[in-house]
Amino acid sequence: MSGATQTGAPAFGGEFFARYGIFLFLALLIAGGGLISPSFVSSGNINNMLVQLAPLGIVVIGQAFVIISRGLDLSVASVMATAAVMTSLYTSDNSSAPLIVASALAMALGTGLVNGLLVTKRNVSPFLATLATAIMLQGIRFWMTSGAPSGNIPPLFKQIGAGNLGGVPISLVIFLVIAVVFWVVLHRSAYGRALYIVGGNPIAGRLVGLSSDRVIIIAYVISSTLAATAGLILAGFAGVVDNFVGRGFELDSIVAAVIGGVALSGGRGGIAGAVVGAAILIAIFNLVLLIGAPVQFQIIIKGAVIVLAAAFYIKKSKS
Amino acid sequence: MSNPALPGRSDLRRALSSNGALLAVIALLILLVLVGAGLNDRFATVSNLTNVFEQSAGLGLVSLGQTLTVLTAGIDLSVGSMMSLISTLASGLIDGDLARAAWVIPAVLVLAAAIGGGNGLLIHWLGVHPLIVTLGTGTVMQGVVLLYSLTPTGAMPFELEWIAYDRFLGLPIGATITVLLFILVALMLRYTTIGRDVYAYGDDPEAARLMGISQRKVLIFVYAMSGFFAGLAGLYLSIRFGIGDPYQGQNYTLASITPVVVGGTMLTGGRGGVIGTLFGVLLVSLLNNLLNFLQVSTHLQLVVQGLIIIAAVSIYIERKRGLA
Repeated sequence: MSGATQTGAPAFGGEFFARYGIFLFLALLIAGGGLISPSFVSSGNINNMLVQLAPLGIVVIGQAFVIISRGLDLSVASVMATAAVMTSLYTSDNSSAPLIVASALAMALGTGLVNGLLVTKRNVSPFLATLATAIMLQGIRFWMTSGAPSGNIPPLFKQIGAGNLGGVPISLVIFLVIAVVFWVVLHRSAYGRALYIVGGNPIAGRLVGLSSDRVIIIAYVISSTLAATAGLILAGFAGVVDNFVGRGFELDSIVAAVIGGVALSGGRGGIAGAVVGAAILIAIFNLVLLIGAPVQFQIIIKGAVIVLAAAFYIKKSKS
Repeated sequence: MSNPALPGRSDLRRALSSNGALLAVIALLILLVLVGAGLNDRFATVSNLTNVFEQSAGLGLVSLGQTLTVLTAGIDLSVGSMMSLISTLASGLIDGDLARAAWVIPAVLVLAAAIGGGNGLLIHWLGVHPLIVTLGTGTVMQGVVLLYSLTPTGAMPFELEWIAYDRFLGLPIGATITVLLFILVALMLRYTTIGRDVYAYGDDPEAARLMGISQRKVLIFVYAMSGFFAGLAGLYLSIRFGIGDPYQGQNYTLASITPVVVGGTMLTGGRGGVIGTLFGVLLVSLLNNLLNFLQVSTHLQLVVQGLIIIAAVSIYIERKRGLA
């Protein structure tokens, strides 16, 4: 990660810790976790955490695009659940798979477009725009399924969500491919450069002739599309669908991005940090359960980590 | 992207634009009652409207506090957890005993205001966006209340039920007190120094700083108020249902924002006010009630709620682009 496109991240050595501290933290967390509870680093548990990382990681990548554009996407969980519900909408054999994927992508594209258009053309705050689409999608989903989704998921999705490929979970492979592709988009493409400029300094973006509206709208579409992908994977993993697949992912993905150094003020952070942020979150959740603490501590630690991580990056960028 | 940023906008113009939003909500409210009366003959009856009024008190109290944070271009995402925490704690400690209620109720309200003030102080110290700070503290509070109890616990004394159920001169007592609190806060915002500081800070924090307004004081004040009113809403609802519930406030966090926005308070701060929110609460409650009468499924009611938010924020175009 040369960081050539990471505008706003100071280049001098003193900032090394702010930039790479997150990777160090994950390494320490895993080492410390292994010392406290050896089963934490057993291959079975690591496999388990990686399977959990895949959907959150996919969502957090999209969330990072939106946050870098100086936005926020609260609709990802609703998009995930709507995509998940769609897996049982048609026939339960594999022949309906293309139709399911097409419907989910169309829904995601529509949601991303509405979010992006509201934010750019109507100047609605991202918080409210994506909250409103999330609520509407929830209503549409309930209405579509009459409150209780039924039907079976085609086996193909179960394979993708829960299957292995030479010992490696298929969902993890999909996640890694997505991570690489979007790392290239964000850090090596003209669009990525434009996104950092628009998010970091909208006025400068306009001055150098960027269509900031289009850049922002594309970020929301990427976020919705990745959320729908994660929803399909999670539905396949669970094997059954309910109306709340992905519940909590909107906040978890924002928290993971913030832990990973994606600044809510826009224009800063990257894919690697965001993904590591997601991994840290999942490792902490896992550790809390392994050491036998009440599950409520997951919630308490999550809350504390959000504030601490945000404060850490703010202080770093000021000093 | 027409952005009506008006540098040097006069006070008169500002008064007109905020009153414009207020008049629009009131007009919508009247329109809704008239349309509802035409659609269903049991809707616009005194007894139904009074019931809707009575049921809107809980939402009204949270939204009242939320309005203050939004006026400073902030937001309080911890209100739902605050309601759950305060109601469960109160119900558990009181356990049906009126004598204990006499000290528990004031104590938990002070606690709510103190935790809220802590939010404000954290936002000031850390310089982190209120959305993140209150999301974090709200999550911690939810964890703490679940450590205290995973299920509804204790009991509220039935001697207090009159607050939630009785009528005075035909008016439901809890809801009427809520309206009085709205008026009290509106007067406070208008005629006290701290009230005017809230508007000045929300309008332009940098200018407010130059005028010698303390950011710390303003933030502690609005988040303490938000915490206090969320705690009051939690108490009211637990009295109404007879017991505190660790998940009571779950849906109120986001629900508390809709009336604020519908009432014309800008998420970018400095414009709007609590009276708009009061009518926003009535509008949202009446609309849900009308949709029930029309037997619109609760599923489609969600769609309508989303549409209202979009319509409201699209009508009152925001001046500057911000996160929340």
